[in-house]
Amino acid sequence: MRSIRLIARLDIKGPNLIKGIHLEGLRVMGSPNEHALRYYQQGADELIYMDCVASLYGRNSLSDIVQSAARNVFVPLTVGGGIRSVDDATHLLRCGADKVAVNTAAVANPKLISDIARRFGSQCMVLSIEAKQVGDHWEVYTDNGRERTGLDVIDWVKRGVELGAGEILLTSVDREGTRKGFDVPLIRAVTQEVTVPVIASGGMGKPEDLIDAVRQGEADAVAMADILHYSRATVGDIRRVAQAAGIDVRNYEYV
Amino acid sequence: MKAFFGLPEEVIFCKHCIISNQRPSSTVEFRHKHDEKKATIGFDEHGVCDACRYHEVKEKQISWERREKDLVELLDKHRRSDGGYDVIVPGSGGKDSAFTSHVLKYKYGMNPLTVTWAPHKYTEIGWKNFENWIHVGGLDNILFTPNGRLHRYLTRQAFINLLHPFQPFIVGQRIIGPHMAAKFGVKLVMYGENQAEYGNNPDENYKPIMDRKFFSVGNPEEMFLGGKPVRDILAEKQFTLNDFAPYIPPSGDYLESKGVEVHYLGYYLKWDPQECYYYAVENTGFQANSERTEGTYSKYSSIDDRIDMFHYYTTLIKFGIGRATYDAAQEIRNGKITREEGVQLARKYDQEFPKKYFKEFLEYISLTEEEFHATVDKFRSPHLWVNENGEWKLRHAVWHESGVNSAR
Repeated sequence: MRSIRLIARLDIKGPNLIKGIHLEGLRVMGSPNEHALRYYQQGADELIYMDCVASLYGRNSLSDIVQSAARNVFVPLTVGGGIRSVDDATHLLRCGADKVAVNTAAVANPKLISDIARRFGSQCMVLSIEAKQVGDHWEVYTDNGRERTGLDVIDWVKRGVELGAGEILLTSVDREGTRKGFDVPLIRAVTQEVTVPVIASGGMGKPEDLIDAVRQGEADAVAMADILHYSRATVGDIRRVAQAAGIDVRNYEYV
Repeated sequence: MKAFFGLPEEVIFCKHCIISNQRPSSTVEFRHKHDEKKATIGFDEHGVCDACRYHEVKEKQISWERREKDLVELLDKHRRSDGGYDVIVPGSGGKDSAFTSHVLKYKYGMNPLTVTWAPHKYTEIGWKNFENWIHVGGLDNILFTPNGRLHRYLTRQAFINLLHPFQPFIVGQRIIGPHMAAKFGVKLVMYGENQAEYGNNPDENYKPIMDRKFFSVGNPEEMFLGGKPVRDILAEKQFTLNDFAPYIPPSGDYLESKGVEVHYLGYYLKWDPQECYYYAVENTGFQANSERTEGTYSKYSSIDDRIDMFHYYTTLIKFGIGRATYDAAQEIRNGKITREEGVQLARKYDQEFPKKYFKEFLEYISLTEEEFHATVDKFRSPHLWVNENGEWKLRHAVWHESGVNSAR
């Protein structure tokens, strides 16, 4: 049986961990590494680092942060933001990332997905999708939820997997930062179409919110930010709620 | 090089934020004429602008506890419990007025009447936020919509004569508060943020009260609207003086006799636009837009009017300062972004032409595309713009500074 992974997500701008609502109004929350270490110690199964100004500068600036995280955080690290080439991905993997997440550059150049997957394997190539509901479907956004692409999320996710994406990081812009729970229909729509693991992101207000994302949405992992950054729950609290609901998660004793 | 509008001939950018010394101060709009020489933001000998200097004062020298006590004292003087309104809050239901009105009612126990001078053309998200402000936030509101035929005429004149299409709107928005206060027998009008923080005469930051000159006038026929004397507009026989009712500010004497005072909440409470966003999301059902506004990166401020981007497009033309620069400068001061990020944001977005509602804007002011561009080009000051092979380029931009790497 598959274990559901609990992933702490860290959105980073310059030297700071930040958090917004609908990816807007980005509040400075503090030092990324202090938070990362805390979540690791609480038993996060993985960490995701996203550089949210990477598209603006045309580069990912997380090498230093990832390098220092890799020294004392021993769970898989996914790094995203501003990855435009196989070389960019190589650089971040050398810094200690285990996987890379690509959004904007993959939309502009879908071949990048295959290039990265061929070079490092699909397990390493996470397709990051910022999805926003438009009418009765979901549209793909880029640039931290600021630009529309006209792409349909379901079409895009299928295409991405065909091209070699080994995992999907699915962020609901509508729910992100709102604490209103996950966009379960979105998650379900995506998980029904692809066989690769899907990480649900955006909207976790309380530990119980994960139950619907997993049971109804059939997410393979949940990414959490707001709930952890504002210390509304620890990873341990969330793990206990999942276990109590009969959801299989990694056993972890926080000492 | 010749500078239009009396702007400083040498262009400099603040070393702390990214605003330039071309930024004009607010003017008394109903005296605004074409040949007016503009007062601009001050810079000190270290190359730092007044707005940044004031921000330091705001962070370090002002006792916000003391100011809040003053606020409570002021509110106590006006507070009513007989079912009448005790404060007028002008606003649109955007994050700032949502915060102002809601905090006055639910934290300080006032009974505000909110009043809205309608946008030129509501956006969908703007209308939704306006409705939520009232329905979710729990506030009373009067939505005032001026005669559209006259408002369109004035906006057209303001565009052609001043390249300032928002001028009639600004006039209306500024006087609607005092107007309604006088009508409802309310003595206190509370606006949100003090615009002076962004570079008006800094002395105004040390007063809680808006100068009456901004909303009072002597003879209405001597007012200038759209850069044209009202007398001349009347002579064209399209409109009568009665049509101008909402633009004619109540006289200073009248306001004085009624005891109307106009204050800014930003004087009393430490103002942070981003925190207003959080407050409005939590308390009044406010939502950011579904995509960023053209000309900038943000999607939560000034999103209720379809022609809003043309205001900032005209500031880009006249002063070389676009919307992204205004937004980024404010965010740099408030510690939300670094100067480096601000420079990149301005480089990327400041000069973006607002296509999305261009047609609607042209229809609104009854202008053709050619007339639009011809008018715009007349207002490009030679000290700011140069035409190279048919393409207009800024002579000075903050992203030309040495040390700024352009993105790959």
